Amino acid sequence: MGRAIVITSGKGGVGKTTTTANLGAALAQLGYSVVLVDADIGLRNLDVVMGLENRIVYHVVDAIRGKCTVQKALIKDRRMENLWLLPASQTDDKDAVTPDDMRSLIFELKAMHDFVLIDCPAGIEQGFKNAIAGADEAIVVATPEVSSIRDADRVVGLLAAADVTARLIVNRISAHLVKRGDMLSQADVIEILALELLGAIPLDDQVIATTNKGVPAVLEGKSVAAREFISIAKKLAGHEVEDPQGVGFFTRIGRALGLSATPA
Amino acid sequence: MWNEIKNFIAGKSSKDVAKGRLHLVLAQDRTGLDGARLQEMRNEIAAVIAKYVPIDAEAVEIQIETRSRQTQLTVSSAITPRNA
Repeated sequence: MGRAIVITSGKGGVGKTTTTANLGAALAQLGYSVVLVDADIGLRNLDVVMGLENRIVYHVVDAIRGKCTVQKALIKDRRMENLWLLPASQTDDKDAVTPDDMRSLIFELKAMHDFVLIDCPAGIEQGFKNAIAGADEAIVVATPEVSSIRDADRVVGLLAAADVTARLIVNRISAHLVKRGDMLSQADVIEILALELLGAIPLDDQVIATTNKGVPAVLEGKSVAAREFISIAKKLAGHEVEDPQGVGFFTRIGRALGLSATPA
Repeated sequence: MWNEIKNFIAGKSSKDVAKGRLHLVLAQDRTGLDGARLQEMRNEIAAVIAKYVPIDAEAVEIQIETRSRQTQLTVSSAITPRNA
């Protein structure tokens, strides 16, 4: 039986979908069987981020209503073995499915795959409740900004109430702004939210460029963000990885940029 | 180092301001207490304290703040000396 992980944030635009796509691709590259579920019914986006928008025939609401089998609604990503997408419906709204529907759907997917990654919609209403219903664990994505952290904190409270364990990804961190004192560091965010850190993704132009092309950054290889996504995927899967807490943030960014490891 | 000196001269860094604002706003979010309710509570607490010791009710301060997942309520009040 696989693991179902919901990727959530409260606030929109902080990188949930990009994180889902990249962690999914990275886990598939590690050899796991992975299915990505777009739970943002009515505002689907994971399909375009993955570059699979032209291959959609059936979607999650069709599968739940029995219009097709779950298997049939899955789109196989041909760029690698073991990666599938279950797209959201664009014409229904969030009330088209219930938490119970999602629970049984995710259960069925877990029986067939090692990882089920659920891309949660923004907000904390029905769509959020549906997205977390079938999840065993959660990844909270936050950017180092007051608004994002505030919303993440609300979500952490709701996840705790639903008995879902959450871990943190800090997204779009800029070493140079942190150094100047103009951005919260990952340590600040951890301190405020009191969550275990899975990783911190540096602000990286490459992610914008690869997303334009519908290719997850990890498939294009060498960007700093891609390397961090791969390291998070390994950590999720329980592989040995260098402990991010063990090495200073600037040292790690410096290394990722190929600079010397001399601290500033 | 230079950045630290600069921040010291210029006052708090914007990151420290962000952190301070978050501690306050999260305390309000987590307790569900808004500013008006908090002031109402302050006034009631001040009245209770005034029953026992002489205080300046206007000078009573109330604050909720969050560190990690702990939220703390602090009420502080100066007590007027008996023979002042």
